[in-house]
Amino acid sequence: MIDKYRWWEVVAIYAGIAVFLTFILAPFVEAFVVSMRPLDALFSIPYRFITEEMSFRAYVTMWENVPLLGLYIFNSFLIASSVTVFALLAIIPAAYAFARFKFKGSNTLLAAFLAVNMVSGAVLIIPLFKVMHQLGLLNTYFAMIAPGTAFVIPTGIWLLRSYLLKIPKELEEAAWADGASRMYTLRRVIIPVAMPGIIVVAIATFIVAYAQQFIYALTFNSKNELNPLPVGLFQFFGRQEVVWNELMAASLVGIVPVLVIYIFLQRYIVAGLTAGAVKE
Amino acid sequence: MGQLALQDVKKSFGSTEVIKGVSLDVKDGEFIVFVGPSGCGKSTLLRMIAGLEEVSDGTVFIDGKVVNNLPPVKRGISMVFQSYALYPHMSVYENIAFPLRVAKMSEAEVEERVRKASRILQLDERLKHKPGQLSGGQRQRVAIGRAIVREPSVFLFDEPLSNLDAALRSDMRVELSKLHGSLGATMIYVTHDQIEAMTMADRIVVLDGGVISQVGSPLELYHKPQNLFVAGFIGNPKMNFVEVTCKASAENSVTVTLPDGGEVEVPVKGQANLEGQKMTLGIRPEHIKLGQADAHISVVANVVERLGIHTVSHATVEGANTSFCSLLDGAAPVVVGEAAPVGFNASDCHLFDSTGAALERLVKLEDVDPAMLQVEPA
Repeated sequence: MIDKYRWWEVVAIYAGIAVFLTFILAPFVEAFVVSMRPLDALFSIPYRFITEEMSFRAYVTMWENVPLLGLYIFNSFLIASSVTVFALLAIIPAAYAFARFKFKGSNTLLAAFLAVNMVSGAVLIIPLFKVMHQLGLLNTYFAMIAPGTAFVIPTGIWLLRSYLLKIPKELEEAAWADGASRMYTLRRVIIPVAMPGIIVVAIATFIVAYAQQFIYALTFNSKNELNPLPVGLFQFFGRQEVVWNELMAASLVGIVPVLVIYIFLQRYIVAGLTAGAVKE
Repeated sequence: MGQLALQDVKKSFGSTEVIKGVSLDVKDGEFIVFVGPSGCGKSTLLRMIAGLEEVSDGTVFIDGKVVNNLPPVKRGISMVFQSYALYPHMSVYENIAFPLRVAKMSEAEVEERVRKASRILQLDERLKHKPGQLSGGQRQRVAIGRAIVREPSVFLFDEPLSNLDAALRSDMRVELSKLHGSLGATMIYVTHDQIEAMTMADRIVVLDGGVISQVGSPLELYHKPQNLFVAGFIGNPKMNFVEVTCKASAENSVTVTLPDGGEVEVPVKGQANLEGQKMTLGIRPEHIKLGQADAHISVVANVVERLGIHTVSHATVEGANTSFCSLLDGAAPVVVGEAAPVGFNASDCHLFDSTGAALERLVKLEDVDPAMLQVEPA
């Protein structure tokens, strides 16, 4: 490829990226630094990046101060994973139908899905609370999983549909001509070929589910053992003071599973799985 | 058995009619080629036979049974797609075995049939590979393998060779003809490449704008095209068409006046009331010669292509502004920009009336090559 940028353009591009990254990563850096500091050095004036007696002690003491921390992380994980699994069960067939079948109102439905996305879960939290209360579902995992699932489905359908549209129609026609039913084709041909797309959707869904569970847990759950991490972190807010260093340490540890999953799955997101299917 | 019949088959997409009434009888074991320009409906017609496209009107029979509403697998057909449509995540073995797995055959039988197909197609070494690791020709063979394992009575090919390079294409052409010989199954083959049509077909179906323009053996189409469209479509370079005026029409000859005033008596079946009418004279470039001939026409060469064995001269008829192509000897003395007379024999000429329909030429096809006219499949 021809290098089409001049040197100052390259500098400008990297400077832009640097500014962008600083904004995104600064909170993480600050969280990490805070987690290392002893509590009394937190609010020193003037601000010092490096303070004395920095250590990893908070990462040990946090498990003692909040004994259920491990359970919170597990709950977070369980809720987000369940949301992902249930959402995919709905997203895959729905996206396939929207990508392949022509039926009345398909465009209207797709537009409606987009519109639903604009209404955040927070707006519906009171009606949802009413529903959960009526059904007697408050203080269960279900109360935190079901609304979460419902809210990630529309985005998932949009994402996966655009991926499925790129899969050549001939693959299905060939399977159809060979006598395979729609479901057989979906299972044996479409899902394996669409795997990279499905994994992207799964990751996106998981991350959204991990992030959005706070509001549902806060509203629909008052059982401490069922709380996910974001709610569990409130335990670090004492009556007199907030244990900032342990709070930050716990937050960072809570992010680790997501990071691990992301890194692990990232290598599956490769183009080229469809290589050889049809001649381009 | 693989007998197939179409009866006034029509297809519309919305208000546009793509297939405007096609009737055709295909005998068991015949190799039929649908040929025509892009958009003539040949692929649509094939997909209707396959059951991938609904038939708007008319009837499709396979082995005497109406199959209009049957899914492809119940019609006893299998199809090879232009893009191969291989399953990228499965090995060659599993790709070929796919139709058998759908039919829930026993593992032993699957194994036996896949081995048999891979032997015929020389894919034995490749069974464990994924389609992505194969060359274009091998992928195409896998696609054909997937079609033959089910042992259908009718094979449908949708431009299967158009993604291959020229050398591979001619190899595959021979292989397909061999395959047709050894399987003895009915094959219907869609292509826009007339060389494929001419070399492989028992009969060619020329489609034009959703209707059959002519059906016949390759040489029949070459020597006795029924209309201007077929005349122009079959043959490369294209047939030359010259505007002429009819001077006289007898039972076995029609005399026409050339643009420059010369006259030719063409041996075709005459018709009444032709005198004075505008007609079209067709001469194939390969029938043009320099020197002694029945008639001459003066042309100015614009581009001369020297191919070694042949010289192709793209010229304009002097004073008529119609293009005129000649296929001459490799060493033919043609010079760009100079007017020169080229000659042709009256017996090589085709004559079309003002509606584009051909007047039947008085050539006996048996004289051309009786072997090529076998209507019964070999």
